[in-house]
Amino acid sequence: MKILVCISNVPDTTTKIKIAEGNASIDTAGIQWVINPWDELSLTRALELRDDQSTGIKSVTVAHVGPAISEPTIRKALAIGADDAIRVNAESADAYFVAEQLAEAIKKEQFDIIMCGIESSDYNGSVVGGMVAEFLGIPSVSAASAINFEGGVPVITRDIDGGKEIINVPVPFVAIVQKGIAKEPRIAAMRGIMMARTKPIKTLEPVAIEPLTQIVSFEKPAPRSACKFVDAANPGQLIDLLRNEAKVI
Amino acid sequence: MTKQIIFAISLIITLGVFAYTINRLASYFRFTRPAFPVRNFGRRFGIMMEVAFGQTKIFRRPVIGFFHAMVFWGFCVILLGSVEMVIDGLAGTEKALKFLGPVHDFIMASGDIFALIVAVAIIIFLFRRLFLHISRFEGIEMKKRSHRDANISLSLILLLMLSLMSMNLGYMGYRETAGGQIDGIYPFAGMLLSVFPALSAETFNTIYEVSWWAHILTIFFFANYLPYSKHFHVFMSVPNVFLTRLEPLGKLDNMESITREVKLMMNPETAYAASPSDVPPQRFGVKDAEDATWKNYFDSLSCTECGRCTSVCPANITGKKLSPRKVMMDLRARMKEKGPLIVRSRSLSGGKEVNDNRSLLGDYISEEELWACTTCNACARECPININHPSLIVDMRRYLVLEEASAPGELKSVFNNIENNGAPWQYSAEDRMNWAKDMEVPVMSDLFARGEKPEYLFWVGCAGAFDDRYKKVVRAFAKILNHLKVSYAVLGREETCTGDPARRAGNEMLFQMQAMHVISTLKGYDVKKIITACPHCFNTFKNEYPDLDGNFEVTGYVQLLSRFIKEGKLDVSQLKGTKITFHDPCYLGRANEIYDEPRHVLNSLTNNFTEMDRNRSFALCCGAGGAQMFKEAEKGDKEIFIERTEDALKTGASVIATACPFCMTMLTDGLKYKNKEEEVKNLDIAELVVQGLGI
Repeated sequence: MKILVCISNVPDTTTKIKIAEGNASIDTAGIQWVINPWDELSLTRALELRDDQSTGIKSVTVAHVGPAISEPTIRKALAIGADDAIRVNAESADAYFVAEQLAEAIKKEQFDIIMCGIESSDYNGSVVGGMVAEFLGIPSVSAASAINFEGGVPVITRDIDGGKEIINVPVPFVAIVQKGIAKEPRIAAMRGIMMARTKPIKTLEPVAIEPLTQIVSFEKPAPRSACKFVDAANPGQLIDLLRNEAKVI
Repeated sequence: MTKQIIFAISLIITLGVFAYTINRLASYFRFTRPAFPVRNFGRRFGIMMEVAFGQTKIFRRPVIGFFHAMVFWGFCVILLGSVEMVIDGLAGTEKALKFLGPVHDFIMASGDIFALIVAVAIIIFLFRRLFLHISRFEGIEMKKRSHRDANISLSLILLLMLSLMSMNLGYMGYRETAGGQIDGIYPFAGMLLSVFPALSAETFNTIYEVSWWAHILTIFFFANYLPYSKHFHVFMSVPNVFLTRLEPLGKLDNMESITREVKLMMNPETAYAASPSDVPPQRFGVKDAEDATWKNYFDSLSCTECGRCTSVCPANITGKKLSPRKVMMDLRARMKEKGPLIVRSRSLSGGKEVNDNRSLLGDYISEEELWACTTCNACARECPININHPSLIVDMRRYLVLEEASAPGELKSVFNNIENNGAPWQYSAEDRMNWAKDMEVPVMSDLFARGEKPEYLFWVGCAGAFDDRYKKVVRAFAKILNHLKVSYAVLGREETCTGDPARRAGNEMLFQMQAMHVISTLKGYDVKKIITACPHCFNTFKNEYPDLDGNFEVTGYVQLLSRFIKEGKLDVSQLKGTKITFHDPCYLGRANEIYDEPRHVLNSLTNNFTEMDRNRSFALCCGAGGAQMFKEAEKGDKEIFIERTEDALKTGASVIATACPFCMTMLTDGLKYKNKEEEVKNLDIAELVVQGLGI
């Protein structure tokens, strides 16, 4: 069996996002790119399953849609332990575009489990996984919080309101994974870092397809207004502020 | 003649067995890893005279240390007498060294007196071991065998001393009775003789002969028993001190194999140009006995299980599994187990890997033990013969992280944070100047753009930039710099983690990537002098960056404040009367021997400075070093920071002064835990100086 993990290249969570001129794109200068945290966890789980002999999983491949500058992120995934990688050489346009590119890449090879993070920490669209399954015409399980093997068959656990749902699904399928799929992201060992330099990254050219959506503009949330401190000995001032300035009482 | 032959035979057997043992042990050294080249013979000789022959570290526990020193010095002079006995035995002479005249008299006299002193000391040692409950002699690693070993060794020494005393008595008695010349002076034997019943010359001679043989044969037996017991330190300790690692305790050795990888990574074109002979090591870090360095193994053979290291280990004191003594004993035991297998396999198959499905890490030492270490270096500082435990502990962490990608979860996040946002915590580099809000703090890139070059780079550190409490400290220090119009600048957004927590947590790769990045930034600004606000950064810059070509003149802020006060630049005087105690940060104190400067600053602020019981090189760690700051403590029965806070509260001081962001976090937590935050304040030295200046 083979697992494919789709990885998205996102700005590190501490990044202060700046909007580029024209308000329709993000200023990427100086951004530290990382593997999308959900994808990092699904990669970790995929590697755990591969390292467990009893699952019969032979390899873990990562797939990414993005230009050459995202290669360090792919190399990071290889360093963590993925066996090989596929990169579709295209700037991501929207979720539909990305899902179609991934589906086309997946069709070229045989994968049994395709793992997608439930969302990416940059655009938070939460639709790529479902769309990939649809394009491929295979089942998908959303919000999977655990994947295990019982007697050689994958068993998926979903967190639902007030409990858990255990699901059996025939391969191939898409698992859209939630945090909790792995305890903590795996870090790269030294051998992994060294080997990542020579592991293969297969580059595919994109299929021609138009995105369905277009970004019109970005807006930053209004900055939080300053917090006013009122001395505890002075409740009158508080009432005054609430009545006359905040106008809530 | 018969006597000479018997003696020669026993001597040959002794030397033969000894040579066999030593050869076997020496063969294990062949497959250990290199540590450091042995140079600086002058300095090494000095350390050997001071620490080994001067017994300076044993005196860190003055009472029992005194007795040990007596035994050691006694052994030294008695050894000279034994040399004479060997000559006599072989040549059939009596007192062969008597031609030395007064020197011979001195050797004999001091040997005679020391025999009594050593015997008394040994009886005290035996009494302690047998009847007093000394906690230092207990612990999970102390098996029945360890206690038996100690008791056998002590008994043999006692036997040596008793036989020496009776030998001298017999010699003097015989010569006095038979009317011969007495070679040498024997004050104690003389005294003993005066109260001894008058015996015939024959009887005295028999006493002498029997004692002589008993003494020399016990020496022969003892010499061959030692290498098989924990008491091998009789032979090993002096050389081990001579072979001391000469680096400051705070310095961890650079892994050259990683440097190579980092350089390849930073400059990928060379990755494929690397010469094929340049192969990476079979293993990064230490997993098994043969991965340790020859010095680690030497240390382990020298260890006599005295337990001083373990008795000062903050992790051990607070009930955690780690015991530095155990680490040394485990290495020795594992080498004893695996060494013969490797030797055999090398002679058979020419160096094929031996696998007995066991290893030092895992079967002897658990990960839990390794992750409990705070790298405070109390063990290494305490060891009377300069054994270095933390370097081996970190080398095992290196194996875990670099080979197995295994580390406590919180530390994995720390690694990711350092890699992605340049700080152990998740904060954006863009927030690095928030601490300096509404303050005039010059930034390097601004000065550079104006064509200016400050004298100092002020290295704020991640805690100074992001920790709300420590931000106040760096603000205070910057205020002083501004007050004195010191020419300085900070890196601001360009600053990033020095890599200290990553290195101490075993992630040498990440450390070196950070280090090379920092060094290249600093070189870009042509920085020569650095002031640090954190002892961990200080230690990294001062001791560890030179290995990676980062040579700067580094001063910690505490040293600088002390210098300013000495130079009369800071007139501090307003805190008279405030009772202040000081907690020594490990990376200022033991790691870099900076004890006087903080005390100088505090003594100029108050006339009521008070020490904790454990202070200076005896200070207890706060519990945060060695990347412990960023993880949950391992299982134990107490938190280290509470133990240390109790030390501080015992002094009755109203201010606990610290000089390290991690110590501050820990002790402030300790005060909260003890509900003392109202009465007792935890302040940094820089904050106290600002108070003292009234600025």
